[in-house]
Amino acid sequence: MIEESPQIESAALLADRQLVTAMLARDRKAAAEFVQRLSDPLVHYIRSRMQPRWEEVDDLVQETFLTALRSLPSYRGDSPLRAWVLGIARHKVEDHYRQRIQRVVLPEESIDIEMMEDPGLDELLDKARAEARTESVLRTLPEQYRIVLLWRYWEQRSATEMSTLSGKTVKSLERLLSRARQEFREQWRNQRKEER
Amino acid sequence: MSLNQWFEELASSTDLAAREAPVPASSCLKSKVYSALILAMEEDGPLLPLPETKSAGRALCVFEHLVEILPAPDAVQSLQYCKVCHAKALGERVEHAPIYWPGCPYCEFQNR
Repeated sequence: MIEESPQIESAALLADRQLVTAMLARDRKAAAEFVQRLSDPLVHYIRSRMQPRWEEVDDLVQETFLTALRSLPSYRGDSPLRAWVLGIARHKVEDHYRQRIQRVVLPEESIDIEMMEDPGLDELLDKARAEARTESVLRTLPEQYRIVLLWRYWEQRSATEMSTLSGKTVKSLERLLSRARQEFREQWRNQRKEER
Repeated sequence: MSLNQWFEELASSTDLAAREAPVPASSCLKSKVYSALILAMEEDGPLLPLPETKSAGRALCVFEHLVEILPAPDAVQSLQYCKVCHAKALGERVEHAPIYWPGCPYCEFQNR
């Protein structure tokens, strides 16, 4: 990743602030620039978190833009506009996860005891292969398993936080997580066999 | 290593967004989002009059330019003329829409 010099960075922040000021003045062409500049990174991020349910990406992108517009007065201009908008997108994605998990009837039996020793998974592969296999395995999982794993590990929310957001109990979420991890492990092993 | 720890390590070492091949936002999506933003802006109050948009250095399309040179009040200069323009209708529905007006957002959203 190329690091930007402080001068370029401050010029970029200045451009962001000017764009936001114009948006707040309801300049229609500033709105067009806002859409043009931020659509690609938003689509990219949201697609990566929604796979393979890409049919919902467009709605989330639009919701993110509308929320960003309403929240513009709170943009302080001390961080890049792109990062600020991606932060809003993250909340939208989490909101989507929360709604999905709320609909799921969670397992009631006690938590499976997961192995504390070697979980039966090989050492992590090189980054590219690990990402490819992870993506592939996630696609095969039932939606609630995929979402709960993405939420817990890639969005780095604890079971307690997920419980607060979804209204489900911590225990029931841990049960769901446990099942999701085990299903993922099975699929990971299957993929490994196929790759050999 | 527990399964939980293994997942934490996997997640920290894999960037799913990086894995995802960049897919540009479709021009239809950008067009729809822009129309929705303008609608939301109008709900908050009149848009910035076209002469002020122009003096801020932003390009106007040929139709907006015709309005901008009229000796019309701000209420007229603030209207959103894209609402009745074929470019909006095509931009929201057709990828690679055959619209080529300079200064038109719906044309600029096209991924050509």
